[in-house]
Amino acid sequence: MPLVIERKPLTKLEKTWLPQIIGGLKTTFGYLRKESVTLQYPEERPVIPENYRGVPTLVKDPNGRVKCVSCQLCEFVCPPRAITIDPGEIPEASEQAHVEKAPREFEIDMLRCIYCGLCQEVCPEEAIFLQNVYSVTGTTREEFKYKKEKLLELGGPLPDRHFKWDKKKAAAESGNGGH
Amino acid sequence: MTALSGTIPVFASLEGAPIALKAWILGMLENMGMPEPFLMLVSIQLSILGFFSVFLLLFVLASWFERKILARIQNRRGPNRVGPAGLLQPIADGIKMLTKEDIVPVAADKVLHACAPVLIILPAFLAMAILPYGKNMTPVELEVGILLFFAVSTATELAVFMAGWASLNKFSMLGAMRAVAQILSYELPLILAATSVVMITGSLSLTAMVEAQGGYLLGILPNWHVFTPWGFAAFAMFFISALAESNRTPFDLPEGESELVAGHMTEYSGFKYALFFISEYLGLYVVCGFAVALFLGGWQAPLPFLTFIPSWIWFFAKILCLVFVAMWIRGTFPRVRVDHLMNFAWKFVIPLGVMVLVSAAVWHLAGRGPLGWILSLPPLLIPYWLMARAYGRNYDAGGRVYRFAE
Amino acid sequence: MNPPSETGSPSPNPAESPRYRTAGYDSDAQLLEVSLGPQHPSTHGVFRMNVALDGEDVVKLKPVFGYLHRNHEQIAEQVSYLGSMPYTDRLDYFCSLSNNWAYAAAVEKLAGIDVPERAEYIRVITSELTRLVNHTSFLGFMLSDMGAWGTVLMYAFREREKILDLFESLTGSRMMGNYMRFGGCRCDLPPGWLEQARKVVDGYPAFLDEMESLIATNEIVISRTQRIGRLPADKAVNGSMTGPCLRASGVNYDIRKVDRYGIYDRFEFRVPLGDHGDCYDRLMIRFLEMRETLKILRPALRDIPEGPVMDPKARQRNLRPPEGEAYARVEAPKGELGFYLISDASDKPYRYRVRPPSLINLTLLEDLCLGEKIADVMVILGTIDIVLGEVDR
Repeated sequence: MPLVIERKPLTKLEKTWLPQIIGGLKTTFGYLRKESVTLQYPEERPVIPENYRGVPTLVKDPNGRVKCVSCQLCEFVCPPRAITIDPGEIPEASEQAHVEKAPREFEIDMLRCIYCGLCQEVCPEEAIFLQNVYSVTGTTREEFKYKKEKLLELGGPLPDRHFKWDKKKAAAESGNGGH
Repeated sequence: MTALSGTIPVFASLEGAPIALKAWILGMLENMGMPEPFLMLVSIQLSILGFFSVFLLLFVLASWFERKILARIQNRRGPNRVGPAGLLQPIADGIKMLTKEDIVPVAADKVLHACAPVLIILPAFLAMAILPYGKNMTPVELEVGILLFFAVSTATELAVFMAGWASLNKFSMLGAMRAVAQILSYELPLILAATSVVMITGSLSLTAMVEAQGGYLLGILPNWHVFTPWGFAAFAMFFISALAESNRTPFDLPEGESELVAGHMTEYSGFKYALFFISEYLGLYVVCGFAVALFLGGWQAPLPFLTFIPSWIWFFAKILCLVFVAMWIRGTFPRVRVDHLMNFAWKFVIPLGVMVLVSAAVWHLAGRGPLGWILSLPPLLIPYWLMARAYGRNYDAGGRVYRFAE
Repeated sequence: MNPPSETGSPSPNPAESPRYRTAGYDSDAQLLEVSLGPQHPSTHGVFRMNVALDGEDVVKLKPVFGYLHRNHEQIAEQVSYLGSMPYTDRLDYFCSLSNNWAYAAAVEKLAGIDVPERAEYIRVITSELTRLVNHTSFLGFMLSDMGAWGTVLMYAFREREKILDLFESLTGSRMMGNYMRFGGCRCDLPPGWLEQARKVVDGYPAFLDEMESLIATNEIVISRTQRIGRLPADKAVNGSMTGPCLRASGVNYDIRKVDRYGIYDRFEFRVPLGDHGDCYDRLMIRFLEMRETLKILRPALRDIPEGPVMDPKARQRNLRPPEGEAYARVEAPKGELGFYLISDASDKPYRYRVRPPSLINLTLLEDLCLGEKIADVMVILGTIDIVLGEVDR
């Protein structure tokens, strides 16, 4: 049994079509006095929520170490193939020699990037983050190819909970390295 | 009250200010020993300059005002970057329009394409000459002013069609054809509505019509035509037809942007486009000016104790009110369709216009008093109600029933 | 599929109606052939219609699309299963979360992955909110197509923004959600999200009432939509139209009811059906659907259980479903959105195919528009509610 949605037939007054027209005008007139809901953009900035997906950036740990170890997982997962990593060894003499590897070059083509956040999801080192930068500008294609320095500058240091590599080093030094 | 009485002399002196200014300039020139024909020429030029500059200023204001009103209706703020509250925005727009490239399509009829924007702005200015702006402030005192208005306002369609034809664009052509049909159809109700005033006033002169609306009923209610049954109906008709004549929403079919891109203006750019734009607003002002003169008492103050405010201020205030209503309507309603527009004109407004004439005649014969009120209402209400009912039968507005499945 | 209901279908043979006078068209008369689009203010993107006009009447209409073709299906066969998830956002960019769900459901079916209960609730909530977003902006766009100078559009966008804010705080992006994963959702609801969502849902009826008062009985809207673009039920079924457009023609077909996918069987909601199948019905069905959507959202926001949002066993990267094929569909706001996948046990789908509701609904455009005025073409196109991202893929 179909249920009928009640829609009232027009009243005598409504059959003159005037109340509907006046009602519409009244609605719009009501808004004339109301405060506007828009944001005056360059002066007022929108509130960026916690897990906003802005421009992908590289981050450092609180000790200033570049967290990326150039495992290239992000490069492989990136759907539009915007990430290019040139992995490099860390020189023995460096105090970060205990870390596996470091990127020699890390490039994200912002014209290809679709801000999907898969790189952040797969990163085992929590080194790449989509942070709150949402406005990317440039005048040439080259300008949109963000190199390592630019990505690190955008990322900045982030707090680290694990200090995975430092712990590994400490473990190796105390004699029960490996696993 | 004391503050008010202090301002009264200031206002009173403003009353004749425009005329005094003109007289002063003329007097100065006379003292400089200018010949008589030259003085006459200057006198004419001064009047022309006066209302050119006033209306162009009003146009500038209107384009700002319209964007503000629409923005406020739509929960936005509107232009607010250029100048205080965005007031200089129209000037920025003007500069932009002037500096833009003037693109003429290769296949276009170049002469007509250039003529059309100039031609379209002329009628608006011509019609301005006969508007009674204030007491003794009609630039050209014509005995048959209202006839000139109709003659001139129809001329816009020539320019619109010229623009559409010359552009050699299908959208332009469709828009132009729509415009011709629309302006022709709505000319008739416009004339019918004005005729009722002519009947009552017994004159074709606008000044006489305004003066006929002077005085106050019972000392408070102004004696305007709009406060009579026939006058109200005629005013509503006049205003609707005026919107259609000046291609305003909901009757902006000729430029209906969602279907015809920009109608007859599709192939215009730069300052030629700006001229179309200006003419649209000036046309709106002029036609609202006529509505004010015919039905809203022209330059008469709405209340007896407000007469100290100069008459020309009242006139422009009333025009601005009507322009505001036009903008408000623009912010509210969607566009009608071309055949509905024609049906509305020929099957609704024009028959009603004839009934307005009947009603006005009854009002006049019944002595323009309470008896007139009683007798002149039925010829309006009964046809209106019948026609609205007939219209409603075409559609099932509220009667439509929806079911839920299961 | 249900047979077309007898009561609901308009006159069975439209060729008999005087509106459809194409058959006996006098070929000597000069037709005006206009190409509406791909750059046109109201073709909803880069869509083109080659229209032949007799005066203002449409006698021929040929939709031309493909201007926004992005090779979505081919790309999806080149990237991993997870890799096409963000691309599904860009199909119908108004309803990214419904698209996510449809794709996730297809992969889950293929790989046999279960979805935790909380994730099912989140999926229902987000995709019903998506429906609100879509139908709300539909109203705005359609009224703009009618020439209402953007007022209704702005009101619609005002409300839509509130839901987009919710999406932003949940998924990190306003429109490109990329939120669903195989076996659940990417992340849990942020704290306070449910309260915010409840507030939006509670405020919605007032907005709908306002819109109805502005639109539903407006004389111009009625005259522009009623008896325009009538679609008989049998024709709609033959053209495999789905979604609100099909239901406006009186066919009771809602995949939420037919398939009862997800947890839709737990909610009380009704499927509104139109009688005439014209533009006005398509408009009103959306109003009624939004009210039903609110009926789903309220209990869903109330009953959502605690728990994980992701099946811990489900692999995202390197997902290699067993050989086989799967077709999963959801009731997207525009109609039946389906994903068809064939797996050859590698990490990429062997075949990936989208059944986009916009494209298939659009195929009936010519039948709807013939004999109508050119101004109605825009309204009819508006009521079909297409998004070019989905039409062209």
